Amino acid sequence: MNKKGVERKFAAVVVAAIICFSLSVNRVQAQDVATGAATATVLAALSVIAAQNLIFGNIYQGVASTVANNINASSGIFNILGQGSAGISISFVLPQFIALADGSDRMTIGFSSTDATVDSNNTTPATVVAGDGWINTNPNNLPAATVIGAAGQTNVYLGGRVYPSVDQAAGAYSGDIILTVAYNGT
Amino acid sequence: MKNLLVIAATLLLATISCPAQTITLNNDLIFGNVFPGIPKTITKYSVGSAAEFHVAGTSGSEISIQFALPTYMHGSGFNIEMIFFNTDCSIDTLASPSQTSPLFDNLNPWTTLVYRLGSAGLTLWLGGTAIPKAAQPPGSYTATIVLTVAYTGA
Repeated sequence: MNKKGVERKFAAVVVAAIICFSLSVNRVQAQDVATGAATATVLAALSVIAAQNLIFGNIYQGVASTVANNINASSGIFNILGQGSAGISISFVLPQFIALADGSDRMTIGFSSTDATVDSNNTTPATVVAGDGWINTNPNNLPAATVIGAAGQTNVYLGGRVYPSVDQAAGAYSGDIILTVAYNGT
Repeated sequence: MKNLLVIAATLLLATISCPAQTITLNNDLIFGNVFPGIPKTITKYSVGSAAEFHVAGTSGSEISIQFALPTYMHGSGFNIEMIFFNTDCSIDTLASPSQTSPLFDNLNPWTTLVYRLGSAGLTLWLGGTAIPKAAQPPGSYTATIVLTVAYTGA
């Protein structure tokens, strides 16, 4: 083979090699990237409403007055709204007295260990039964197993007792009752 | 001239013998139902909930692994904060990888990880934590997790 023939053959081989190299380079990935996802579904937000105050109405000096927790018109009523069947932690902060708006006089208020009812079936204070939750439970130690009702609501009913003194100043008395509710993750 | 031919042939063989690495997403990072105000953690050991990626390629080759991690999940115009701790990743290069007892555990997903592919490639798991606010609006939230792998040449 003469010199030109050898050069042509060499050139052909080099061109073929370059073509093959180019093809093979196309098959090699320098890197690969995958995209995954993080996903979450946030459940219904929790809210609590003081639907009805604990109403003692008119009382007489020196005469204690009690409101039971099963009186539709006067028991304290709290509505807790959230994710159905979710576990919640609930707790009251109960006042030790109620006072005139100007603070000039106070009246003792008390809550017994049976003054609260927890109703997970969204009935009423007068119609709630044991199967709806916890009847006559301790407002200072509400049940740890409380859940939002399947329909997304649980009610808490509260009774109490006031003890006006014999020289209690006349007027309208009030005090804050605070119910705190939080999901417990169950 | 003969040397040039040999070099060209060697170059050709070298490029052909190097198959691409590929990533397969086996599982997203799934938090499921989350209560407002209650942080939720998915551990890397949580089968079916932790993110799982599989990398295939040339056995014995070293690869670099890099995550691009989100800081929030988004949904309906709202965000949920996310946290990835520096132990939230694990890797197993064995032929039968174990998510609950991985060969390389407590790895930092915020750094570039360098490992060699095993005979069946390499499997990664990633856990994380979602921190919904107390008043977090209900609904679905998502975020993108990007995993990039590349041969190091070693």
